[in-house]
Amino acid sequence: MPVIVLLIEDNPGDIRLTREAFRESGFAVDLHVAEDGVDAMRFLRREGIDVGAPRPDFILLDLNLPRKDGREVLAIIKEDPNLKTIPTVVLTTSDAEADIVKSYQLHANCYISKPLEFQRFSEVVVQIYGLWMQTATLLRNCAEA
Amino acid sequence: MLDAPRGPGSLAPPAVHHDPGSSTAEATHLVQMEARYRGLFEATPDAIVVVNQAGEIVILNVQAEKRFGFRRDELLGEKVTRIIPGGFAERLISDGMRTPADAATQQFGAGIELTGRRRDGSEFPIEIMLSPLEGPEGILVTAAIRDISVRKAADAHLVQMEARYRGLLEAAPDAMVVVDQAGLIVLMNLQAENAFGYKREEAIGRDVTSIIPVGFAERLVADGMRSAQELVEQQIGSGIELIAKRRDGSEFPIEIMLSPLAGEHGILVTAAIRDITKRKNADAYLLRKVEELNRSNEELGQFAYIASHDLQEPLRMVTSYTELLSRRYKGKLDSDADEFMAFAVDGAPRKQQLIKDLLTYSRVASDERRLRETSSQDALAHALRNLRKAIVEASAHVTHGPMPMVFADEMQLVQVFQNLIANAIKYQTHGAPRVHISAARDATGGWIISVKDNGLGIEPQYFEKIFGMFQRLHQRDEFSGTGIGLAVCKKIIEQHGGRIWVTSEPGEGSLFQFTLTDSDKRISTQTGDVPCR
Repeated sequence: MPVIVLLIEDNPGDIRLTREAFRESGFAVDLHVAEDGVDAMRFLRREGIDVGAPRPDFILLDLNLPRKDGREVLAIIKEDPNLKTIPTVVLTTSDAEADIVKSYQLHANCYISKPLEFQRFSEVVVQIYGLWMQTATLLRNCAEA
Repeated sequence: MLDAPRGPGSLAPPAVHHDPGSSTAEATHLVQMEARYRGLFEATPDAIVVVNQAGEIVILNVQAEKRFGFRRDELLGEKVTRIIPGGFAERLISDGMRTPADAATQQFGAGIELTGRRRDGSEFPIEIMLSPLEGPEGILVTAAIRDISVRKAADAHLVQMEARYRGLLEAAPDAMVVVDQAGLIVLMNLQAENAFGYKREEAIGRDVTSIIPVGFAERLVADGMRSAQELVEQQIGSGIELIAKRRDGSEFPIEIMLSPLAGEHGILVTAAIRDITKRKNADAYLLRKVEELNRSNEELGQFAYIASHDLQEPLRMVTSYTELLSRRYKGKLDSDADEFMAFAVDGAPRKQQLIKDLLTYSRVASDERRLRETSSQDALAHALRNLRKAIVEASAHVTHGPMPMVFADEMQLVQVFQNLIANAIKYQTHGAPRVHISAARDATGGWIISVKDNGLGIEPQYFEKIFGMFQRLHQRDEFSGTGIGLAVCKKIIEQHGGRIWVTSEPGEGSLFQFTLTDSDKRISTQTGDVPCR
């Protein structure tokens, strides 16, 4: 059963890069993409055209998004009793202290600055997958969830 | 009213009229009255002389003897001009034409002022009051004479004081305006004339609101309720700020200080008025500069964010995709394509490094709050931990002497050590790098920290250049780096109020040195830009 990942990212270059990284890793990943915060919330709440959307195993969230900003999306996810249990990884270009602090205050599960080189980026994607899908014991494995 | 004496030469005081038909009882009464008058005559504090119409002294009292220095018998029958050289005779005539009732109402203080002459010829100011006295010998004149030396001196003093006050008023650097309790201008100095554009004559008598439209009167009232002591304690600089109006209607900001001045007609208020246009302008200028600086700092902060995010994003695309391109297609196109891709792959991360270094440099902010007593030993140890990998890889031998407590931002000091030691290890082509860090007192009681290496050394013409931003002395394939490290060191040290310099000989290693303030001598650390040697 493939791992379901929601990538919330507006930059087509980064979307493709993430796809390539997962492809090179060889993991079985079902990657869904929301290109802004509004689309992301619709997907997560299975509304409108996303009525049949699956619940992601984890979320990769960029901070700077059109319409609804990544910080708002994070805040909504972490306040929603249904969604807050989904590991949400902030994956962004910013390494500004203010963004890091704000993200953790909004209960991001971890904050990662996108590495410059594809090689490093690819490694980071593998590490994220490895931690959340292999190392960590996830809620989805619990009967009560 | 004293009555006429018996005649010239008599020592008797002026007596009541003698009624020839009086009884013995009456005579006794008269004797008693005479004695009483004589007592009064002698006890009065003023000198009294009685003069007949020929101008001869017929009676005088003991005060007259004392004042003029004559014995009684020396003056009796003498012309009054002997003791009052001028004015008496004229006065005699004018007073002689007045009725006794007029004379009776004449009081001391309203009398005329003449000069008295003593037996020794010395003169003194007197005031005399004359009153006619009808007697058997005709009309006599009683002259009450008061020595007014003291009052004259006091008057002179007052005049002098007033002159001095006016002098002070004129000499004062501030415009001075004296206002009475009705708010009318009674006096102004030259500075006030200049400041307000009024001639003194025009301004005097005007209401003070014509030069200070608002606030003065209110202040006057408020100050009127305060004690003189409080007013005296009030100083310029703690005065209130008001708006003054010139004659031409133009306005300017003033600071005003009021002080009371007790005068003949109640309390006057002296207002010291300072034109504070310049100070106001300076304040406004300063405020504008602070705002500009704040805005500039904000912009710098925004720049830092833009540099750390928006500039990186497209760069990352270039980097990632050239890399991806290279990974997938290297060796599948021709050799030119491979070379082009190699340049692209190499260039992008260097550009990112430059941006990062620039950011590092711009983030070296002086924050006084982070300056504290710091162990340079700990900072050095921290830097060495950060450099552990590089030290091991280069098999470098790093040693140090005793390190002092200094007044510094610890993280920034770590950065300085780290950059200097990293350079010392990096610029080395023969054998194992040896680096020694030490500290010594400088002439001013601060510290000179030295980082000595056995590396390549630097030619003297580059001693200054190497501290500039992105200055490199070596080709890229020899030594990597953007050339920001020493610029960051220089910025940090200068913001600590110190300086940094290098001495070196090519092939003999380099000695980098910088100064820091001792932890006990933190005052006077911020001396601004100190040129590096």
